[in-house]
Amino acid sequence: MKFESQRVAWWFFATCMLLFTLQLVYGLIMGFAHAGHDGLHDLIPFHVARAVHTNLLVVWLLTGFMGAAYFIIPEECDRELYWPKLAYVQLIALVVVGVVAIIGFHLQWWEGRKFLEIPRPLDYLVVIDVLLFIANIGMTIWKGRRMTTTAMVLFFGLLMAALLYLPGMLPSDNQTIDSYWRWWVVHLWVEGVWELIMGAILSFLLIKLTGVDREVIEKWLYVIVGFTFLSGILGTGHHYYYIGTPRYWLLVGGLFSALEPLAFLGMAIYAIAMARRGGRNHPNRIALQWTIGCSVMSFVGAGFLGFAHTIPQVNLYTHGTLVTAMHGHMAFWGAYAMLVLAIIAYALPLLTGRRRHDSGVASFAFWTSNIGMIAMTLAFAAAGITQVVLERRVGMDFVTVQKEIEMHFWGLILAATLFILGIGAYVYDFIRHGKPVAEVDGGAPDTASGGAEAAA
Amino acid sequence: MLSKSAARAFFLGGTALCGIAFVALTVDTFNRIPKQTNASQITPAVARGKELWDSSNCMGCHTLLGEGAYYAPELTKVFERRGPAFIRAMLTDPEKMYPGQRRMWKYDFTEAEKDDLIAFFEWIGKMDLNGFPPKPHLGGVVTPSGAMATTTDRPQVFNQLCVACHALGGQGGQVGPALDGVGGRMTAVQIDAWLADPPAVKPGTAMPKLPLTDGQRQELTAFLSTLK
Repeated sequence: MKFESQRVAWWFFATCMLLFTLQLVYGLIMGFAHAGHDGLHDLIPFHVARAVHTNLLVVWLLTGFMGAAYFIIPEECDRELYWPKLAYVQLIALVVVGVVAIIGFHLQWWEGRKFLEIPRPLDYLVVIDVLLFIANIGMTIWKGRRMTTTAMVLFFGLLMAALLYLPGMLPSDNQTIDSYWRWWVVHLWVEGVWELIMGAILSFLLIKLTGVDREVIEKWLYVIVGFTFLSGILGTGHHYYYIGTPRYWLLVGGLFSALEPLAFLGMAIYAIAMARRGGRNHPNRIALQWTIGCSVMSFVGAGFLGFAHTIPQVNLYTHGTLVTAMHGHMAFWGAYAMLVLAIIAYALPLLTGRRRHDSGVASFAFWTSNIGMIAMTLAFAAAGITQVVLERRVGMDFVTVQKEIEMHFWGLILAATLFILGIGAYVYDFIRHGKPVAEVDGGAPDTASGGAEAAA
Repeated sequence: MLSKSAARAFFLGGTALCGIAFVALTVDTFNRIPKQTNASQITPAVARGKELWDSSNCMGCHTLLGEGAYYAPELTKVFERRGPAFIRAMLTDPEKMYPGQRRMWKYDFTEAEKDDLIAFFEWIGKMDLNGFPPKPHLGGVVTPSGAMATTTDRPQVFNQLCVACHALGGQGGQVGPALDGVGGRMTAVQIDAWLADPPAVKPGTAMPKLPLTDGQRQELTAFLSTLK
């Protein structure tokens, strides 16, 4: 930790850990309900658990991005945050809005639009909160001693994420138009501007962890985010196949979605190549593990499984089935959850002054959670493919099919248990690091020893 | 080798081009949506139905246009598949319709609200969705008795209501017993009395009293009696 104000990142990361843990609880409730045990139906019916599960994901990832930005931007711009206290205010406001939203969901106060369930009055508060955050980051960059590509890509990604929240608030009586705008938010976030944030955070981590020259890393960052937008913007079309929009989206969406894995493949090759080039000399090996893991798993989950699911002829059958849940889980885990866990793994020893990165717990957390998530994806795949065949191809009744696939949800619950063990270990490790230290150390131990010259 | 400024130009140029194309396609799509979705048929009742669809978070379990959660049935074609009587009964008391099965939240909708939701489903079902949802094409292959061929001979009310819980020729729900051979097990009089009020014939039965008109009941009795 080089700057005092970076310390606020710890509080954002701690919030992440809390919300992530809560998300797992609601996921389990849904898993058991699918397996035929909806004992909590009167208290937490499925549609409540579902809204909480997905919204917690979005909020903890955004919290993680904000924490990452508050950690990265001072270092990149070589100065303290412009308004250090505002960062704390903004976190508290975000948590308050989040808590109100979650309690509201339990009282069935919501909008009922997938992923954007947060009720309208709270939407405005979210927008204000994010604008404060953007202003703080923007002023820090503006007044900074240098303006790096990594910082600019991160800022641009965060700003676009804030702006793209707005189309989701356009009202319409027509379900198709409503959905059309909803995907502007959801798709252009996760397969557009969030990938800018991802690319920037990965670049920062690779610069720090591998010691490869900044110019080289940032050049490839441009290429990757270039591919992201080239494929991702028109790739939005894969949500417009079957919702009452023109037929040409089948062609446009299908074609550009097929290019989307390239961006993720690029990200994976980039991370692995840079790590090889730098010789992996940084003592924080576990952070590098999460960084490379993130790039690889996002290729498998978001890139490959996403591609397989968005071919129009396939999607006609898999659209609106558990196959979507299969792709969704691994995509979010690989691309965004692992990214936030990577930046936390990197920042935590620097924030707390404790070098715990060689601990067995950290390694256990990485492998167990990843194996658990792969197993969960397989369970969803078994359930989803069976559902597609029986319901969409054979024409069996929905309820009958759900009975047939109940056993796969026991598989899912077993896999999820493994995953939760891994995340539990990660959270335990986070707690063991303790609170952030008072003094700043000028970032002295925070460089890769050797390798830097070789790469340049 | 690629320079950093060339990489930046690739990023900015590609993004600008795709962004412009996307906005242009969006404008064109908005010109076409009204016709493709029959927007002129969005009556105040349909609009209120959509409001209810959103405020009740139906998407938290169901899918509509294939969007939502995967816990409860896809509802795009529910009006055609089940008809208004079934939808109304389901919205009144879901657990009565599917006793002991996966549960749906009981919303306490007013009759007017049920009308609005039904109007909404009717409008949704008529959209041109480019072929979604696909017609099951393997049904005939695995149905042993070849019942698929005769579904058109059945009364419409049978195809909408009865098959929600009962199977015939291997097609339909499995909540209640299969109806193959029911005409051999029960007389027409027994069937008629049963359809009029199942709990009155057999207290504690899982089958609810269904909203059937006299004509529909007679039609069903005649049809079921032929299933020997």
